[in-house]
Amino acid sequence: MLRIGASVAGCLLFASVLAPSVSSAADITLGASVQLTGPLANTGRYYKDAYEFAVDQINKKGGVKVGNQQSNLSLKIYDNQSDVNLSVRQYTQLVSQDKVDFLLGPFASNFALADSAVSEKYKIPMVQGGGASDQIFSRKFKYIFGTLAPASDYFGSTVTMMTKLKPEPKNVALLYADDAFDVSVATGTRPLLKKAGLTIALDERYSSNATDFNSLLSRIRSANIDAVLVAGHETEILNFIRQAKSLSVSPKMYSFTVGVPSADFRNALGADADYAFGMTAWLPSSALKDQWFGDAAQFAQAYKAKFGYEPDYHAASAAADVEAFAQAIENAGTTDPQKVRDAVAKLNFESLYGTIAFAPNGQINLPQTVIQIQGNQVVPVYGKNGFIQQPKYPMPPWNERVASGSAKP
Amino acid sequence: MTKPRLAIVATALVVLLLAAIPWFGSDVVVQFGISTLLLAVLAQSWNIIGGYCGYPSFGNSTFYGLGSYGVAIAMAQWNLPFAVGMCLGAALAVIFAFLLGLPVLRLKGHYFAIATLALALAMTAIVSNVGIAGQNIGLVLPPLNNDFLFYELSLGLLVIATLVVFWLTKSRFGFGLIAIRENEEAAAVMGVNTTLYKVLAFALSGLFTALAGGIHAYWITFLDPDSAFDIGLNVKMIIMAVFGGPGSVLGPVLGAFVLSAISEVLASEITTVAGLFFGVVVVAAVVLMPRGLADLSRRFKSEGWRYFANNIKNYRL
Amino acid sequence: MALLAQVLLNGVLLGGLYAIMALGLALVWGVLNIVNLAHGAFIMLGGYLAWHLFTDLGIDPFLGLPITAVAMFALGYVVQRGLLNFVVRAPMFNTLLITFGIEVVITYLAQLAFSADFRTINPGYAGNNVKLGSVIIPEVRFIAFAVAIVLTLGMWIFLLKTRLGRAIRATAQNLVAARLYGVEPRHLYAMTFGIGIGLAGIAGSLYGAVSQINPYIGAALTAKCFAISIIGGLDNPLGVIVGGIVLGVIESLALLYVGATFGDVASFCVLVAVLIIRPSGLLGRTA
Repeated sequence: MLRIGASVAGCLLFASVLAPSVSSAADITLGASVQLTGPLANTGRYYKDAYEFAVDQINKKGGVKVGNQQSNLSLKIYDNQSDVNLSVRQYTQLVSQDKVDFLLGPFASNFALADSAVSEKYKIPMVQGGGASDQIFSRKFKYIFGTLAPASDYFGSTVTMMTKLKPEPKNVALLYADDAFDVSVATGTRPLLKKAGLTIALDERYSSNATDFNSLLSRIRSANIDAVLVAGHETEILNFIRQAKSLSVSPKMYSFTVGVPSADFRNALGADADYAFGMTAWLPSSALKDQWFGDAAQFAQAYKAKFGYEPDYHAASAAADVEAFAQAIENAGTTDPQKVRDAVAKLNFESLYGTIAFAPNGQINLPQTVIQIQGNQVVPVYGKNGFIQQPKYPMPPWNERVASGSAKP
Repeated sequence: MTKPRLAIVATALVVLLLAAIPWFGSDVVVQFGISTLLLAVLAQSWNIIGGYCGYPSFGNSTFYGLGSYGVAIAMAQWNLPFAVGMCLGAALAVIFAFLLGLPVLRLKGHYFAIATLALALAMTAIVSNVGIAGQNIGLVLPPLNNDFLFYELSLGLLVIATLVVFWLTKSRFGFGLIAIRENEEAAAVMGVNTTLYKVLAFALSGLFTALAGGIHAYWITFLDPDSAFDIGLNVKMIIMAVFGGPGSVLGPVLGAFVLSAISEVLASEITTVAGLFFGVVVVAAVVLMPRGLADLSRRFKSEGWRYFANNIKNYRL
Repeated sequence: MALLAQVLLNGVLLGGLYAIMALGLALVWGVLNIVNLAHGAFIMLGGYLAWHLFTDLGIDPFLGLPITAVAMFALGYVVQRGLLNFVVRAPMFNTLLITFGIEVVITYLAQLAFSADFRTINPGYAGNNVKLGSVIIPEVRFIAFAVAIVLTLGMWIFLLKTRLGRAIRATAQNLVAARLYGVEPRHLYAMTFGIGIGLAGIAGSLYGAVSQINPYIGAALTAKCFAISIIGGLDNPLGVIVGGIVLGVIESLALLYVGATFGDVASFCVLVAVLIIRPSGLLGRTA
């Protein structure tokens, strides 16, 4: 009797170990090659963190519904060491060897440009949130989608705001780095400035990774330029602002394409970051409702609690990419790449990032909100409906700034 | 069969085996293969100027970039076929080798190395201002989805480069180069036209490097000054040649294969410390086996594990 | 006219910073014949050290220079004694390769330890300047320039006039004779490399105060230091000041008159020209 009981118990135990876990279908894998080391790693890491965060949250809420089954999402992330050639090889590996289902993107336009050739070649849709340059979307590729707003429109709302400032800036300096994204920004900004009736007094392309802006700043000072628009990378803009201070160059306003929304940029500059304008297509506002996170404000809070830093639009864009796939797979009812690709192209839903809908060329279209650093806080000042808050304008000369206490990191 | 005959047959078999890989290997293996074969070509071309001639060039990436841009400009800007692009790239490299090789090859030892490094840095900066090359944004080439073709092209180029190096070991030109490496003044006294030979070696080295660059550009379909004139690539090809054994026929090829394999395995398995390991491998190799794998395999039989200690003893302060 | 004066001044002050950056490299190269491709990475480490001293302990970057210098000296001593001494008598080329490997390792360890975020050293006076007529002189750069002059003169005196300096030069020139005189070459080489790295540490602190530090600034800094050392000339310790100022001024003028993308073109073309026409540099004896 005892022996029969024992063997029955043994069989039950054995069976429970072998029994499949609750998820009834195989995981859907999303693959990406991201800059985790190398010069672009400080932004690349936002993408990895956000991808993981979004995948975890979606799985917590039950995963993705494919037909009648619930599937979980899983991630496979490689470190491309900020090397474009390696990232192309890694995407090929993800598709042909690891056999991931869909692709998420890297950071930076030149990476997205090269890597989208892989997704097009293997006909696996890639939704990337790191590249905004027009070149990516002008090759008539069908499998690349982007959640960053077009580069050419980055300064759009800023220029509109400038025409409404009192006293209106008389002349503008347009400075831009020589990489794909920033050249696209400059190409799009010039006609906007012309249409707004602003004179471009200085229009200069500078070397990416430049550390010396003294010559440009000296020219800005000697020409008495009122407004400076800079399209560049965080390290360049950091150097620009520091050197502007040391040369006592303070135009009435300056605006930068990157840096301003990021916490570590503000920490590095401390009080010197004050008055700088920037733009973002995303703010952690509770008005942006999301079916997985509640709303953008809750997303930002939970993100900061988990990773220790505030998310900016890069992280939100990355989370949006994951959500785009989740929604598209549910809409398509299958994980067939072609059908999911078509579903992505037709998406139109509200998320923590705003409305996710792609234009025929694959790029999202979101308006930029003008933001300004006021006392180490990022404040939205101008949106599609006009002024949200009064900007601090004009910028006082450096030696007249009120020392609001340097913010030590 | 006599020993040399055996060696030839064995090598031919290996080549055939390599050529057959695209048929039964996965996509990733083929991609890895293309990358490794091109690196082997680079190491082998460096071998000509650095290994045989004794002039360690730190600027071969200049030729690589010129080859890449030759193909890219021809195909993306002028819509010419790939072959024409390759010829353009090769021509640019050879002209550059003659024009700038002449003054730079007058320098000795590490000054030559620094001068070639400076050339590479200068080219990157200059090309990022050239309009037809797409300035710093670079160029996008028409895509061709045929890894098979690229693989066989790379293999073919490697075979030709190796045959050329083999020919060097048997020809008067090659002996002249070795004489220059061992003692340039004596070589000149003996009647070797050192200037001509050096420049020819530089140009030959540049030619193969440029062709490899051209294939790479078409394969990746995208290039910009930083990736085309990549200084890191420079150092990689030197390390592979030195690791394998400079001044030998198959050493650089072996070095390239081994180091690529290590690097790729690291990059796909332990991605975060891949680069770190590479640096450690380099440091260890320079300390323990500065004369490369070829020397190691030759002397290990007689010296055993003391080979490493001997190296340290010979070169330490 | 005022613009030109400002840009020239910018160039000269930049030259001072350049001189400090290159001094350590030129010392080790000129005296020991060791080409340190990892020099920029050591500058970066010095920067991080100074940043930690400033942020965690509140030590001003200028006042903390001796601490940074001593700590980096110790690091350099260990690296030379424990690693580079093993390849000193190998073909010179091997030191190029091994220092490249060291650069890769240091960069990766820095990324692991400090993350890829950039850091700035931002003391309260960091942006101060003095106005002289219509020209503005940034304070920190001016002090850095003064430090450069002092250190370079000090190096010149040390190498040419002191016993230890002469011993170092003698050892590097003739190992056997030096040993016969009872000099311990391993220790001397390590001391010299240590001094070179200590100087790199000082450069890092100053660099962090005018720019920003991240794990990847090493390679570009090394390339710059090469240019400065060669243009100035390796034989003469004062060469780096000349090389630094020449390079700083040429770059600033190129950025002003040719175009803002031509800074590097100017520097490296000058370097190539110097190598082809007068490889021993502006202050060196003809090689």
